[in-house]
Amino acid sequence: MGVRRGRLEGANTMTDQSGVLTDVRRGMIPAHIYNDRELFELERERIFGRAWIFVAHESEIAKPGDYVVRRVLEDSFIVARDEKGEIKAHFNMCLHRGMQICRAEMGNASHFRCPYHGWSYRNDGRIVGLPFHQDAYGGEAGFKRKGQRLLPAPNLASYNGLIFISMDPDAEPLEDFLGDFRFYLDYYTKQSKSGIQLMGPQRWRVKANWKIGAENFAGDMYHTPQTHTSVVEIGLFREPKAEKRKDGCTYWAGAGGGTTYKLPEGNLDERLRYVGYPQEMVDRMKQSLSEDQLKVVGEDGFMISAASAFPNLSFVHNWPRVAESDDVLPFISIRQWQPISENETEVLSWFAVDAEAPEEFKALSYKAYLMCFGSTGMFEQDDVENWVSLTNTAAGSMARRLLLNSRMGILEDDTEVVPALTDEQFHGPGVAHTGYGEYNQRELLNRWADHLEEPVTAVSTVEVGGPGARPAVGQEPAGAATAGGTATSTAADQVGAQA
Amino acid sequence: MSTPTTARTTPGTTPAGPEVTPVETASTRSVLGGHASRLQRVGMTLPFGDERHLAAHQWLVDEAWLLDAQAYSDWLALLTEDIHYVMPVRVTTALGAGFDTSPGMAHFDEDWYSLSRRVARFLTEHAWTEDPPSRLRHHLSNVRTFATEDADHLIVDSATLLFRNRGDVHEGSLVSAGREDLLRHTPEGWKLARRTIMVDDSVMRMQNLAIFL
Repeated sequence: MGVRRGRLEGANTMTDQSGVLTDVRRGMIPAHIYNDRELFELERERIFGRAWIFVAHESEIAKPGDYVVRRVLEDSFIVARDEKGEIKAHFNMCLHRGMQICRAEMGNASHFRCPYHGWSYRNDGRIVGLPFHQDAYGGEAGFKRKGQRLLPAPNLASYNGLIFISMDPDAEPLEDFLGDFRFYLDYYTKQSKSGIQLMGPQRWRVKANWKIGAENFAGDMYHTPQTHTSVVEIGLFREPKAEKRKDGCTYWAGAGGGTTYKLPEGNLDERLRYVGYPQEMVDRMKQSLSEDQLKVVGEDGFMISAASAFPNLSFVHNWPRVAESDDVLPFISIRQWQPISENETEVLSWFAVDAEAPEEFKALSYKAYLMCFGSTGMFEQDDVENWVSLTNTAAGSMARRLLLNSRMGILEDDTEVVPALTDEQFHGPGVAHTGYGEYNQRELLNRWADHLEEPVTAVSTVEVGGPGARPAVGQEPAGAATAGGTATSTAADQVGAQA
Repeated sequence: MSTPTTARTTPGTTPAGPEVTPVETASTRSVLGGHASRLQRVGMTLPFGDERHLAAHQWLVDEAWLLDAQAYSDWLALLTEDIHYVMPVRVTTALGAGFDTSPGMAHFDEDWYSLSRRVARFLTEHAWTEDPPSRLRHHLSNVRTFATEDADHLIVDSATLLFRNRGDVHEGSLVSAGREDLLRHTPEGWKLARRTIMVDDSVMRMQNLAIFL
């Protein structure tokens, strides 16, 4: 995305935020960005109106007819697997009077019928029932039912089964958007050729700004020894002892970045078993991950932990003790920071596990997840307390006078306190550093600034079966992704008459 | 009055799994409840004057006081070693869907070890989420007691409404839930052997569940 340094234009009610963005880019964060209505309106338009936003994983809608209802801010989408096995996402609004068609969170259905006047739609979005079509509209002559479908998501694509929506019909391809972060995404989502299964999500609301969680998971290795002292004291997690985190590295590549822990000496198998993977899962990882992905663990000795992909999707991989024994067991969580307002966020937290993992591993990994993260997780409890307090404190006028120092890891002249790892020391793409640093928080907020600076193009409107309706663009119905692979399709901007 | 399941969708059901268990409880349907007692209620609600009901009701009131006071070591001592403590994630589903909890997911799905770690954490000086502590009030009502096949076990249904307030900025938050408990008579008195918490929110409005219900 182009970087323009000039005054912001476009949004009607926006005041000049260019000073804020300039400060953010030099690692000095105006504290009010964590509780600011005007900035939130700008985020709504320029980040959530454009970026690729995670909505579901293919394993949540495994069978034809399975659906989940998910939101991008206020916009509700039915994400469904149709009878052909294709994944579709349609705006959850009846074409007639705008009623929300599907009011469940999940289920299995071949059709969705609007409760208001009874219009009904197949699970691929096509309209199939329109009561009294002939009497009410004079049939096709008055309302062209044929070819009508629910409004598709402007753009839909998936990576390793993770389904994303972009509200921008001209969005860059998902693979380009994610960029080299895909290398790290694979550790969480491709431990075998079958990929992951998701359970959940647990959903809850916190009175915190959405960016705080995204920044924390992206790179805040510095908070662990302090915030999470208690989980070390009770013997749940042995890693985050004071001093230990600086031996791990943080990396940033493409749309995301994360933290790692330094593993003890050993070969690849020993290091994967150290965090609790049984040998059969190690063997499958050696089949499904690339040579360089395996070298990061086996040769470089780094194990992925938390990560974030811009704007609001995060991951965590830890290996706590789940019983009275010295054994540890790893778990994966995927979570989304869904903004409600500038000072409230809905957290959606899933447990993820490799589909080919042994059943006993799946159960204990789930136990590890529940003990550490999610609505009851002992790590997460203390995180949220901090984030709510931060958001409260950022609301007033004093926060507008304070620039927070987010320059950890660099000197006044921007040189690094500890030089970046070389290609020999770290086989992953992007830039990685050991030592304490806030490289990734700066990277995330720089992307945030880039998005806020770039106006969005006006969206087109859609006429439903009206006299002037133009044909829909393209043949392939929009909002379709091929199961299993990576696919992108461009939305039709019209639900018009396809005669 | 005797059967609690006259609703068209039984609250707290998950989609039918492949294996058939002889006795279905929320614990057997959960991921980690295989070890839990499978005892079920037998017969009608015990009369409110029945000594068993009076004992169960008093146990719940006393327990609520311990939870309000965050006297978690004392609370842990009221749990049996084979405790299963489960709070499924509720989901909004169509009336005919046949389930209203998230398959394979819960807020709590706990055994004695995991509960003991949670309690141990609160006893450290570094559980920041409860320092300063919340002000808690567990409101208890709708208590109904049932016999089981075993004279040393009772089933108790109750409703709980937890009000939790922290700090001086935000309003307090509420959690409303129905509970089904299995109480066991032991030489040290009645203890909790199984608890199912059927929360009434699909999206929790509390910042975390650093509490017990």
